[in-house]
Amino acid sequence: MTAILELTSVHAGYGNDPDILKGVDLRVEEGGSCCIIGPNGAGKSTVLKTIAGILPLRSGEVLFKGRSLAKLRPDQRIRKGVCFVSQDQPLFGAMSVHENLTMAGYILNDRRETAKRIRHALDVFPVLAEKQKQRARTLSGGQQQVLALARAWIIKPDVLMVDEPSLGLSPQVRGSVFEILQTFKDSGMTVLIVEQNVNEGLAFADWGYVLDLGRNEFDGASKDILANPKIRELYLGKSVTSGADS
Amino acid sequence: MIQIALYGILLGGIYSLMASGLSLLYGVMNIVNLAHAAFMVLACYMAFVFYQNLGLDPTVSMAITIPVFFLLGLLVYWALLERVPRTRLYGSLTVLLTFGIALIVEGSITQVFTGIYHSTDPSYATGSIAVTSGIVLPEGQLYAFIVSIILLALLGAFLYLTRTGYAIRASMQNRTAAQLIGVNVRRMSMLACGIGFALAGAAGSLFSYLFTFYPGIHWQFIALLLSLIVVGGLGSLLGPVIAAVGLAVIAAYLAHWLNPVWSYLTFYIALFVTLLVRPQGIMGKDVRVSR
Repeated sequence: MTAILELTSVHAGYGNDPDILKGVDLRVEEGGSCCIIGPNGAGKSTVLKTIAGILPLRSGEVLFKGRSLAKLRPDQRIRKGVCFVSQDQPLFGAMSVHENLTMAGYILNDRRETAKRIRHALDVFPVLAEKQKQRARTLSGGQQQVLALARAWIIKPDVLMVDEPSLGLSPQVRGSVFEILQTFKDSGMTVLIVEQNVNEGLAFADWGYVLDLGRNEFDGASKDILANPKIRELYLGKSVTSGADS
Repeated sequence: MIQIALYGILLGGIYSLMASGLSLLYGVMNIVNLAHAAFMVLACYMAFVFYQNLGLDPTVSMAITIPVFFLLGLLVYWALLERVPRTRLYGSLTVLLTFGIALIVEGSITQVFTGIYHSTDPSYATGSIAVTSGIVLPEGQLYAFIVSIILLALLGAFLYLTRTGYAIRASMQNRTAAQLIGVNVRRMSMLACGIGFALAGAAGSLFSYLFTFYPGIHWQFIALLLSLIVVGGLGSLLGPVIAAVGLAVIAAYLAHWLNPVWSYLTFYIALFVTLLVRPQGIMGKDVRVSR
């Protein structure tokens, strides 16, 4: 398999503060799924923000389909096919659900195609169909996450990155969100997630990365990570066996 | 009594046009443009020059001031505003920068036109129209109100019905989220700056026959416009319109009953009360209080 996304010795951080990422390497296969886990402050979300272009790359390399993304703005990266659903307010709260979906078609610049994809998205995510006129900020947390993912469905990127897809959601809603992510995966899209909920995150992904203090600690097939007693003890705590969030 | 309310509504509509550009710029770029009214006054002088030298009606000369100020907005964005680093001090730096721009604009106008009062005086500026036997409306204000409403409607149609308008609104609500769905926020900021300046240009042309003006009058109006965008809600487009019409009507009554000084004082008191009671204004984003 070829790597669609490849990070080599990536250093990145916020403003003038010290590096959060201190030489992270990452490789995501085309059509594959990958989950980044690790304790708080490990730099998991920072990896996604750096790939998306929200944070500047201080050194190292971020390659997408073999080409560097370093000089591209976030809006140029999504046009290349890299979509990021961020954890903090990814929606336009004052806009309606339908307007949010319409905005997802912005890069298509084709009203008919956008309308067609919105109709399809509403079939795939029926919970949104009856709330099209509702303002996005009035939706529940789970519905907002579904809306954010529905927008990605309309964009149809090559790589979808989702930061903490299950954060703040009830177990039942969490399950639905992972089912949606599975739909993306089944459609052939490459999916990269950051997840605190280790069990569900690794159960969803083919490959896992464990980060700690901005560095790679381990990577491997998800089932191997879950089965490795040392990693479980060091990084996953009791959550693996208890099923609670780590 | 009805006449006073109508007078307030007319003035409120014109104030709405004046405030809309300021609000748009704040919404997209988080810049409180203290030079907005100074550019509006510059447009007054431009309309005045066209009127004096070419006999061009100030309303008609908007066809020139609007595109000229649009280009001026793009230039100011490219040459100055874009170069302010987006650090934690961004808000303060841009306030200081636009304060400096306002001083330069005022100084330049004074250099050319001196500090004496001017105005354009087309025939309708001092005319009046009898709506009913008891209600007479000032003709100039009525026309300025109609033009303001037309321009605000065009702005609304652009922002709510076009793809670019959606992108500008998206940038106003969440800059990062807009980038993440493919919006070039730099281009939208530049466009918003151009539109904001164009609206200042349009408002200036109307202002030129509604009020007498002098270079320093922009301070009086920027204070009023700032109160409108705070009361209406920072970052909101509809809020300042509601605030402008509502406060102009209240101000008209208070000025009639108490003292003309209330024509402006009403806005400042409303600003004060809003900051104390509802800092996010009528329709603004939530303001989180840090302690």
